[in-house]
Amino acid sequence: MAEVTFSNAAREMEVYGYDSVVKSHCRMCHGGCGVLVYVKDGKAVKIAGDPDCPINHGTLCSKGFGSLQLAYHPDRLTHPVKRVGPKASGKWERISWDEALDCIAERILAYKEKFGSESVVFGYGTGRENEAVIYRIANILGSPNVLTAGHFCYGPRICTGIITCGTNPIVDYENFPKCIMVWGNNVTISNADEYKGEPFSVALDKGAKLIVVDPRLTRPAARANVWLQLRPGTDAALALGMLHVIVNEELYDKEFVEKYTFGWEPFVKRVNEYPLDRVEEITWVPREKIREAARLFATTKPAAIQWGVAIEQQINCADNDRLLMFLMGLTGNIDAPGGQVLNRTPNIVNVGHFGAHGMLPKEQVAKRLGGDRFRLASRFAIIQPKCVWDAILEGKPYPVKMLFFISSNPVITRANAKEVYRALEKVEFMAVADFFLTPTAELADIVLPAATWLEMDYIGDFWKRHGYIVPRRKVIQVGECRSDHEMLNDLAHRIGQGQYWWDNFEQALDSILKPMGITWNEFKELNYVRGEVKYYKYKEGGFSTPTRKFELYSTILEKMGYDPLPQHREPPESPVSTPGLYTEYPYILITGARSPGFFHTENMQVRWLRELHGEPIVEIHPDAAAKEGIKEGDWVIIESRRGKVRQRAKLALGRDSRIVAAQHAWWFPENRDPGHGWDESNINILTDNALEGCDPAMGASNIRTLLCRIYPEKKEGGRP
Amino acid sequence: MKKHALIIEEYACWGCMACETACKQEYNPVHVAHAVKYLSVRGDGPKLMNGKLDFLWRVNVCKHCDEPACIKACPVEAITKREDGIVVLDQEKCTGCRLCIEACPYQAIGFDDEKQSAFKCNLCYHRVDQGLYPACADNVCLGHCIYFGDPTEIEKKILEKRKRRGGWRENHPQGTEVRDRK
Repeated sequence: MAEVTFSNAAREMEVYGYDSVVKSHCRMCHGGCGVLVYVKDGKAVKIAGDPDCPINHGTLCSKGFGSLQLAYHPDRLTHPVKRVGPKASGKWERISWDEALDCIAERILAYKEKFGSESVVFGYGTGRENEAVIYRIANILGSPNVLTAGHFCYGPRICTGIITCGTNPIVDYENFPKCIMVWGNNVTISNADEYKGEPFSVALDKGAKLIVVDPRLTRPAARANVWLQLRPGTDAALALGMLHVIVNEELYDKEFVEKYTFGWEPFVKRVNEYPLDRVEEITWVPREKIREAARLFATTKPAAIQWGVAIEQQINCADNDRLLMFLMGLTGNIDAPGGQVLNRTPNIVNVGHFGAHGMLPKEQVAKRLGGDRFRLASRFAIIQPKCVWDAILEGKPYPVKMLFFISSNPVITRANAKEVYRALEKVEFMAVADFFLTPTAELADIVLPAATWLEMDYIGDFWKRHGYIVPRRKVIQVGECRSDHEMLNDLAHRIGQGQYWWDNFEQALDSILKPMGITWNEFKELNYVRGEVKYYKYKEGGFSTPTRKFELYSTILEKMGYDPLPQHREPPESPVSTPGLYTEYPYILITGARSPGFFHTENMQVRWLRELHGEPIVEIHPDAAAKEGIKEGDWVIIESRRGKVRQRAKLALGRDSRIVAAQHAWWFPENRDPGHGWDESNINILTDNALEGCDPAMGASNIRTLLCRIYPEKKEGGRP
Repeated sequence: MKKHALIIEEYACWGCMACETACKQEYNPVHVAHAVKYLSVRGDGPKLMNGKLDFLWRVNVCKHCDEPACIKACPVEAITKREDGIVVLDQEKCTGCRLCIEACPYQAIGFDDEKQSAFKCNLCYHRVDQGLYPACADNVCLGHCIYFGDPTEIEKKILEKRKRRGGWRENHPQGTEVRDRK
């Protein structure tokens, strides 16, 4: 009998008679895992992790394994269409790429002429490695308005990272942290950004201690040495409490503080406003546990913080990120092996340069929607969605006439979904590029068929901060689908930007790689390229901040007119900030716990993945369920001041009984009505987007914690 | 004869469901609506386990028992145990009487309504016989908790891992599958 071997590509080829195997780079999340794509008769037939890829080491998540079913899905849009009935009528007619792009180009130029470039808003959803190309077309056009998830997802880590220590610090799993503090993240489920669950698991198997900060008992929390079960939205107070211990017990790295930080004294003063009795009262976490976690984190070296988006979709977004960076920095773990590294990308054209931010005229920058209010976000070309909805619905401060959403489904993913829907119904012209006719696309005038990662050449992880770039190689062609990059390159020529673009996108890839001295064709023969690996870079040149120090006291925020030191702000709705409302809506609703298989609104129609979670689930503590007459499996109505939706009840311990946890991003592609059930279980029907409730610097919408009531859909309980 | 066992250390399972999806990819063409599923991952808790609040993921798949109750229950000898330990259910021979489904103590056998026969994980013997790992065990797992090979070797590896993880986990419910091996 044959010897059995791991990840044996050569044997797979022989046994299954595949024609070829292509190394590529998955993008079922933000991108990131090396993959092997097996091909037979011109079709991709099997996906596997690439054992040579240093990011995933041959493993792959459920989303990656679902790639083929996504690419070959019978419902995929495979040619451009234009709407021939009213919005959301589901009446579409096939058109050619030329007709589609000419029509979009004509609109862009007409609106620019009549209302100014700022009336044309481009947008994307979660990062799909198309960011730089979308910014490029908008900036050259002269529109300062690119609507992204950047205000409350990853963007804040980049912005606060840059102003605090020069870049976003990334966990150095390669050198095995000995203590990992997971904060508002379920990395083995989500696997997004620079982080995959696999290296995290390996570090734990090597004996790393584990601290988990989460209101819910996740599996990592169940495995943790210390689980800090905080009241939702009090992350800043908890971090300040831990810093209080580290400062007052002198557990910090004294050399680092003395030589490399700015603002130590005012920082200590601020920290001392958060003694543990106050922090316990705010966070509901016992002071002994806070002390235990702070000591464990500060005294185990190296240590790292595995952070997630949950800390950013809050009113304390920027301060949460900064405080966690302070924990990394003061314990001496910044840029330390096995700590949190400020990586260098390979020597290529960077995203900022490729995004042509320098080409946006100053007078157009000044017109950025909400730019005078959310000044940190605006500095990084990020805007707050509500500013766009207001501009459409009320024409203030000027009318927005056109939206072009590429890989975005804001009807489901942005706060106050009903308002989003109204804005999209009203906007004069909307183009969308997507795989499917989503609830957002159903409101568009023209929809363009976007390529999946299997259908494009690209420099994978171009925008990331882990220091790698990996070739994504085109394997198949589906219908007339085109990559976002190719379609925008083509569109750019049609709106008079030809001189700044290329004859085909391969030339753009060549230009990105040019500083490294290689072409796309040479790069695609490689497994990956890594930037220079060097630790403690700040000891030579300082940090890339105005003071060249690690800024505890932010000189940039001070100049912008913000509190230069982090603070705790109560969530806009909470038992503390709105006690009256709390009597009517007596549960704290947290949203957005991740499920494997889905990436926000994606993959709901991919059968292998949807089978993992058939229905939206709301987790309720058994005591609360008993009080409200809710039984396991009941359809439950979750209601806030903004509206109500239904999700299926799961009774679960491992949370405070005052907390209810609902899933996000639900819509129902199997519902053939053009609305596809967008308002049935969509948790953003309940969330608020009032600007006063957003993070003052980043504009992050506070969608993670609000107040709700719950009751069975049918008074007698039972299934409908 | 080399022994072939599939052992899942549930303590280290994160519920990422990569194994479940890899299994589907192996057995179901992308277009086929009627899919078979040999393996499933489900959450257990959070609830009290051994007096402690805990939450584990459970992987439900045939354990290829040493003395399989399903073999004894099958009246037509559709289930056999190979010399290497793999228990194979032959869907062609199966008459659909469902006695094996009742007999299995792990609820690891399903019923295929279309073929009117029982089905279960045959440990990808078509791959194993060709020198390939079973689809779920071929280095897909984000927690590296799926082991395939000689059961004695596997248990050694798991024990080494537990030691490295440190003593504090000794009091913790391990949730590790232990095969009913004699």
